[in-house]
Amino acid sequence: MTTATYNPAHTPPASTGWKAYEKILFRFFFIYFLIQVLPLDWKFYRDLFAINWLHLQYADIFNIAHYTPSFFAGQTRFADWAIFSGIAAAGAVIWSYLDKKNQYSTNYDALYYWLRVLLRYRLAIALLAYGFIKFFPLQSPPPSLSNLNTPYGDFTEWKLFSLSLGIVPGYEAFLGLVEIIAAVLLLYRKTTTLGAFIVLAFTGNVFMSNLAYGGGETVYSFYLVLIALFLFAYDVPKLTNLLAFGRPTAPNNYRPSFTRPRLRYARLALKAFVVLFFGVIYGAQTYAAIHHDPYQYPAAPGLAGAQGLYNVREFRYNHQTLPYSDIDPIRWQDVVLEKWNTLSIRSNRPVVIDSTNVDSIHITDQDRTFELQGSAARHYYSYQADTVHQLLVLQNRNPHHRTEQWLLHYERPNDSTLILSGANQAKDSVYVVLDRVNKKYLLEEVTKKGRSKSIKL
Amino acid sequence: MSTITIPEIHAARNNQLPPLPGISTPWKTYELIAFRIAFIFFVAISIPNNAEWYSHVFHINWARLHYRDLYDIARFGSGINVFGNTIFGSPLYGYANWIITFLVSVVGGLIWTVIDSRRKNTPLEYNQLYYWLRVVVRYRAGIGIIGFGFTKLLPVQMPFPSLGLLNTNFGDFSAQKIYWLIIGIVPWYQVFAGIVEVTAGTLLFFRKTTTLGAALLVGALGDIVYVNFAYDGGVHVYSSYFVLLGSFLLVQDVPKLYRYWIKEEYTVPVYHFPVLSKSWQYARVALKTGVIVLFLGVLYYLQLVNYKYDPYKQPSTAGVRALRGNYRVTEFRINNKVIPYDPTDSIRWQRVTFEKWTSLTYTVNRATFIDLSNGGGDPMRDINRTFELTGTGGGQRVFHYYADSIDHVLYLQDKYKAIPDRRNRVAGVGGDQNYDLNAGRPLAKEGRKRDKDTSDRNWISKAAWAHIGDENHMIDKTVWTARRDREFAVPLKNEKRNRMVLQYETTDGSHVILKGVDEHKDSIYVVLDRINRPYQVKPSTLDAGKY
Repeated sequence: MTTATYNPAHTPPASTGWKAYEKILFRFFFIYFLIQVLPLDWKFYRDLFAINWLHLQYADIFNIAHYTPSFFAGQTRFADWAIFSGIAAAGAVIWSYLDKKNQYSTNYDALYYWLRVLLRYRLAIALLAYGFIKFFPLQSPPPSLSNLNTPYGDFTEWKLFSLSLGIVPGYEAFLGLVEIIAAVLLLYRKTTTLGAFIVLAFTGNVFMSNLAYGGGETVYSFYLVLIALFLFAYDVPKLTNLLAFGRPTAPNNYRPSFTRPRLRYARLALKAFVVLFFGVIYGAQTYAAIHHDPYQYPAAPGLAGAQGLYNVREFRYNHQTLPYSDIDPIRWQDVVLEKWNTLSIRSNRPVVIDSTNVDSIHITDQDRTFELQGSAARHYYSYQADTVHQLLVLQNRNPHHRTEQWLLHYERPNDSTLILSGANQAKDSVYVVLDRVNKKYLLEEVTKKGRSKSIKL
Repeated sequence: MSTITIPEIHAARNNQLPPLPGISTPWKTYELIAFRIAFIFFVAISIPNNAEWYSHVFHINWARLHYRDLYDIARFGSGINVFGNTIFGSPLYGYANWIITFLVSVVGGLIWTVIDSRRKNTPLEYNQLYYWLRVVVRYRAGIGIIGFGFTKLLPVQMPFPSLGLLNTNFGDFSAQKIYWLIIGIVPWYQVFAGIVEVTAGTLLFFRKTTTLGAALLVGALGDIVYVNFAYDGGVHVYSSYFVLLGSFLLVQDVPKLYRYWIKEEYTVPVYHFPVLSKSWQYARVALKTGVIVLFLGVLYYLQLVNYKYDPYKQPSTAGVRALRGNYRVTEFRINNKVIPYDPTDSIRWQRVTFEKWTSLTYTVNRATFIDLSNGGGDPMRDINRTFELTGTGGGQRVFHYYADSIDHVLYLQDKYKAIPDRRNRVAGVGGDQNYDLNAGRPLAKEGRKRDKDTSDRNWISKAAWAHIGDENHMIDKTVWTARRDREFAVPLKNEKRNRMVLQYETTDGSHVILKGVDEHKDSIYVVLDRINRPYQVKPSTLDAGKY
């Protein structure tokens, strides 16, 4: 039996030759990614200057990290990408022409290196922004009481996706941790390929989920996947050589020399800034938020001691009693009062769905509409309580039902009964007697007791 | 057999360097000991450990295959279980078997070390053994994950929710159910997950793509392990199993990657593989081809017809055509007494659905026992396909019916069963979906006296049976299989179920009158009116089953 091995001293010279087509491709991607990554869109600066820097909030940092340029109003679309590609293609043609004419010696290795640096940091920032709001499970909060009392089929797929993640904060934190780890790996040149691989698997899955569930971040997640693909592609030929074909492989070893101290400091300062701003400050603020003010639900407290699910025992509409009905569009079926100042009513009156499905962090209660997004079957109202005169002013939270308002007097004859009477903006009057239901939720019971015990519910 | 190593000649040619003769690094003592332990351990957990699996494989009717026949080959319990499956009485979340197997491997590895020290050993033997161990693990993991993946690739593992499930409030599901549903509502996503799993498995069949396959396997299944812990899905042991096998396959690459990525040095991989004689080479190609044809070709076809005609978690018999959809209970009389609609009433039915298959559901405001299993497994009879009721509360009751469509009578039986039949017999410990076994609980003994069927066996008359027909053959002929015949040939045991016999009257199904005797022998009279109930969850273009 014989074996052969190689003497590492025989390291072959690193191949640095760029083939012509590689250069053309590179020129295209270089311009393309610069357009997409550098904040060239004026809207970025508009938003940047709108930030109150003395009172910086994690929502601001998230918005900075969530930047993508767009020609059109609103969210970035794939149409934007087509335009960027057009510009990049034109640029690559001009560049190739100039390159040929002037024999202008571009150091492609250096350009490639710096482009990768830019992309690594861009990707890491995006991952940190999303990672922390999952690691501290803010992005998908536990379902509200109203959500628990809404039929499964009355949610949009995307809402169900978020609710299903919300019931397992530990898993959500794990997903956040994966994103944060990938981000950290991207901050180091040597671990970039591994980080990019994790992003491909992880954010690739996020992209597929956005497609499948009708999420609003399809373009953005694919943008991150594209960057990860570009970063991963760098190592693919050599990895294939090493791991699939089992051949000796020299590492990619180009790196600029940081001999001048000024460069070294600049590099260190930039790295420190990213870690401090998107890691430490943002991380600390999201940590504070999960404990004091999770952003998906309103912060204002609801009527004290009134939280719960209520059966509508009696219902008078314009002084006429309506019996229980599951088809009547007017008769209320049940009512939920949340811990915060939201009251939701289930009835058969159709809901025009608030189909918001993009990720943004909201500061004001009014904008925190997660509880009603993608949800039919219930109407959601925010209320102001005047506890002296025992009045509730209800305002429908759904932008499609913005005009609906109620002024209701409330009475609480005992702990489990709530009587509401009053009228809406159309002067239709109601008189409603609500009984609190001591409802046990299978979701909570099984989580408490486990699946091995038999449960009667 | 002799061993050669690569890199061989072409690598040298590429680099214009002469190969230096030499010997690959000899095994260090601790490496040898670790390897011996690992060898015993990984062989033990790659081989089926229960007699039922061998008996199953032996009895497969290869002419009339059911997808589950192959699925069961791919999925089995493994590891050393002669010492039981608990440590100090604890199943350790089902991982006790791994630990016991590991301890036995340590003992075995040490004995092996002693024996080996008394004879002249050559490192190359170990290189060969390592190669073959990797082959065993590669094929075990590849076949296993492909069996798992095809039920997603042709989306049947997580069925699209029935009407009854769509009508249930979010809070009335168990976490496990919510996870299964969230995949079920987007069959195309399930297909994607299936493709990932089948791809990972396929890559493991080839040496050159093993690293990529193992990385995919560890990534995808690592997530599934976490999902199973988070949602109490019960398949954590089986999914961890693949992570373990995949990680083992990656071990070989770690030093190379460390050198290449972190130290950024020129990396020379040294592989060992046996040089096979011609006849062995034929055997290898034949075996490999056999595995690929069986688990990628035949299994795909079987899974496809299962998806089309007999999705295994849904009842596969079509329901009465006129009776389908959501109904409101317009009138409800019990023993001739009208009960008006009141959501708090504990007797009156609230909403009723007839699924497209043989199920009727209704909701009533009364506590009922809840089946918390995954509702999976391999039952052939519709009544035992329980996905539509498992992990679901909210007072929903699900009844299976046999329809006598000549006399217009439904023979209904509660799909909830206090002591469910044993499922996935072949899987054993460490197999998927066997929640009881993995939690270390003994299985419900079959045929126990107190579980004997005390109800009237002849509750359906011979004449009615003649109208109903033979359930075994109510599905498309394509999926009539030996396995199905075998199960229908065995009479049902322990059928202690709630039963109702209801006559139905309807012209086109929009207005239905049910009257008869309910589970408490009360006479009921129910008037149903079909409602148009729109959902936000939209049905997919991929629609399993034929109804």
